[in-house]
Amino acid sequence: MMSGCPGSRTMTFPKDGGAEVPAGKVPSQLRQWPIQMHLVSPSAPYFQGADVVLAADCVPFAMGDFHSSYLKGKALAIACPKLDGDQEIYVEKLRGLFEDAKINSLTVTIMQVPCCRGLLGLAMQALKASSRKVPVKSVIVSLQGEVLQEEWASA
Amino acid sequence: MEKYLRTPIKEIIGKHPPVGALLEEYNIGCVPCSVGTCLLADIVEIHNLSPEDEGRLMARIAGIVAPGRVVTLPEPRNLRPEASRKLSYSPPMKALVEEHRQIQRFLAVLPAVLDRFDARSEADRDLVRGGLDFIRSYADRFHHAKEEDILFASFDPGLDILKAMREDHERGRAHVRAAGEALARCDGEGTAANLRGYAGVLAEHIKKEDEILYPWMDRNLSVRQVGELFARFAAVDERFAEDRKKYESYVVWLEHATTESISEVR
Repeated sequence: MMSGCPGSRTMTFPKDGGAEVPAGKVPSQLRQWPIQMHLVSPSAPYFQGADVVLAADCVPFAMGDFHSSYLKGKALAIACPKLDGDQEIYVEKLRGLFEDAKINSLTVTIMQVPCCRGLLGLAMQALKASSRKVPVKSVIVSLQGEVLQEEWASA
Repeated sequence: MEKYLRTPIKEIIGKHPPVGALLEEYNIGCVPCSVGTCLLADIVEIHNLSPEDEGRLMARIAGIVAPGRVVTLPEPRNLRPEASRKLSYSPPMKALVEEHRQIQRFLAVLPAVLDRFDARSEADRDLVRGGLDFIRSYADRFHHAKEEDILFASFDPGLDILKAMREDHERGRAHVRAAGEALARCDGEGTAANLRGYAGVLAEHIKKEDEILYPWMDRNLSVRQVGELFARFAAVDERFAEDRKKYESYVVWLEHATTESISEVR
């Protein structure tokens, strides 16, 4: 019988010889640095008027095509809602992205494990506190990188 | 089959009327459409059927248009997950759907207003003038302008589905113009007939937009476009904020006024 936190349960995903991958190097779609939520500033030029992805730390590793499907053409911030400290700073920074950087949209990509929902919660908390509203999309990714749900969140 | 996929739907229904009934069975309401230039392939795509339903529909259409012949059916191209077939609007589409709810509330009380409308009564004429003002200002200048000037402009203006929607708007406007003219000459029957005509056009039009057009647009808009539409709609909302409150209050007032007058009659 399974027990314990689904976010830290040990699992392996056997691969039968490895799926087909494109030949040659796949270019990165990252257009900025830094990316970690404690290090980024809403006043950074790459956030101004941008479409922003707020990714849970594990998502880009789980999704084979994160760069082409979600990062391309967008600015990025990453965070872990389970392990990161001082998350009230995140709420303020997100509010800064909505109000000051006047971002165009926010896509929050999270893992299917329950603790990851906290990241979407932080984004919605910031949106609620913000005087400027922006469309927020949530994408829930399975442990093996499939998109389980993609929908627009209600403020 | 490829030839039929690239044929306007009215032409197919004209030559093979059972295709119209079959489309109705799949809730694809092309028969009453006054334009009908959409291609069969686009109609199937726009309605986002499951791969199974799409396969069955195409096979049955082939049985009608080419009975007894061996035809090559297109592969169901629907690779989207089941979740994308559920109605979940993006924020700008959701705002338009909420505006539709206001218009539908108005349309729901309109028959009661028209049933007891006496064109000789100044009070009744005022009531209908108020309704025409709601239609012209809220439904047309605010809501339809958002659609035509902003939303539709995000897509190829030559798309048949957009031509059909614009034509619905024009038919609605023609009814409203005619109703206003009839009211000015105290022609009660003309006023009521045109307002009922308007209600018929709008009710069907709103259903098409809520269930077919907006979900299709949402599937085809990028996140960037959704954000831009949201911002442009917000700017219109801000400009129209006071009027919007006024017209939404008007709908509530009209609902109460109509309910009370019906109770009085009883």
